[in-house]
Amino acid sequence: MSERLIDILVTSFPRILTQGLLMTIPLTVLSFALALVIAMACAMVQIADIKGLRQVVRFYIWLIRGTPLLVQLYLVYFGLPDLGIILPAFPCAVFVFALNEGAYCAETMRAAIESVPKGQLEAGYCVGMSYFQTMRRIILPQAFRTAFPPLSNSLISMLKDTSLAANITLTEMFMTAQRVAGRTYEHLALYAEVALIYLIFCTVITRLQAMGEKRLKRMNGGDVIRA
Amino acid sequence: MLELKDLHKSIGGAEILHGVDLKLAKGDVLAVLGPSGSGKTTLLRCLNFLERADCGEVTLLGQTLNMAAASRQEIADYRRHTAFVFQNFNLFANKTALQNVTEGLIVARKMPKDQAEERGREALRRVGLADKADAYLAQLSGGQQQRVAIARAVAARPDVIFLDEPTSALDPELISEVLDVIKQLADDGMTMIIVTHEIRFARHVATHVLFMDEGKALAHTSTNDFFENQTSERVRNFLGSLNRKDD
Repeated sequence: MSERLIDILVTSFPRILTQGLLMTIPLTVLSFALALVIAMACAMVQIADIKGLRQVVRFYIWLIRGTPLLVQLYLVYFGLPDLGIILPAFPCAVFVFALNEGAYCAETMRAAIESVPKGQLEAGYCVGMSYFQTMRRIILPQAFRTAFPPLSNSLISMLKDTSLAANITLTEMFMTAQRVAGRTYEHLALYAEVALIYLIFCTVITRLQAMGEKRLKRMNGGDVIRA
Repeated sequence: MLELKDLHKSIGGAEILHGVDLKLAKGDVLAVLGPSGSGKTTLLRCLNFLERADCGEVTLLGQTLNMAAASRQEIADYRRHTAFVFQNFNLFANKTALQNVTEGLIVARKMPKDQAEERGREALRRVGLADKADAYLAQLSGGQQQRVAIARAVAARPDVIFLDEPTSALDPELISEVLDVIKQLADDGMTMIIVTHEIRFARHVATHVLFMDEGKALAHTSTNDFFENQTSERVRNFLGSLNRKDD
């Protein structure tokens, strides 16, 4: 490896990493938090079978899952201005990522809630609890434990997908690497470097997931045995 | 104390219950017997509004409810006086034994936590599980889980407890510990309706028997009359087939 290349990598590493910490991570965390709110609302609408709204939710999930994320980004960032709706890059990215991930997580949550045996709800009724009390205290905690691993999966996916935001002029990690590569012509090295940083971020999430699962398991008293 | 009139229930187009009546005085233990598919469990589930009856009337402590039309609030008020024990326990999987017992007291009845826990521990003591208060389901045998479920039912101090085949999901060697607990409740004067296949238990513990066959109550008499002076051939055949199995 030439000294020049080493120099480029060493100086670009903190730059890309900083952009990751200042842009990629906040973008991911904010979008994912909103996605969870959307997902929770959509799952509850479907589980509680709220008439009218249920169709709206199914349409939303159908629409989002049936179209590419990149196309959705372009539609909102480059397309909506034609209708006079102009969003700056960061809010636009948060909006699209949250809406996109929300559709997937809604399905995860719905499936997790449906996996809790019906008897749990009946038992809640029989000790005098209402539907929402039983949901909140009995069903959702159990569902969350089931949903936690696939939701972690979604979070990891989303972290990497934020690199698509480079297409709508957001200077996140990938675009930072792209710029250095363009200036220095060291494409292989720079893209490998940014890949490594994504890998580090995802490794941290994976560790957090393992810790979270352990904790959830403890809170639920070990492996659940359901009669 | 509890009276049921003309309960009808169809599931998926097939009528499961064709007009069932029953009557219970305070302290009665009613065993509901009958072959599989005769509607015993559906009867019990309708009685606690886990299934919505097509028509019928239930009177509990002087309050009469139209079972097809009762509102959510009416059902909630009714359930304050009842408790239900499920065949497969249905303990809250994310709660300890004690939390299972106190959950309804704290959340539904707004009882202060320490008071609920005191009552919960007393209920667990009553079923012989005082030392398992902090155990999760995975650490309890099936028999112990069902005893926790009974403690949960008792803790609310209901006027009547419905038990749906409480020992059917248990290994044979675990059945007697649960039956002993139920017998203890009966001795303490608890009013109960028990759907069961344990004929000998019914004979010794129940004060009355309701015999179900094809969605109808074929017999509703005192336990003594049911077993000693049985005139129905259908019932005698049923009891006979069980006795053969016992041999």
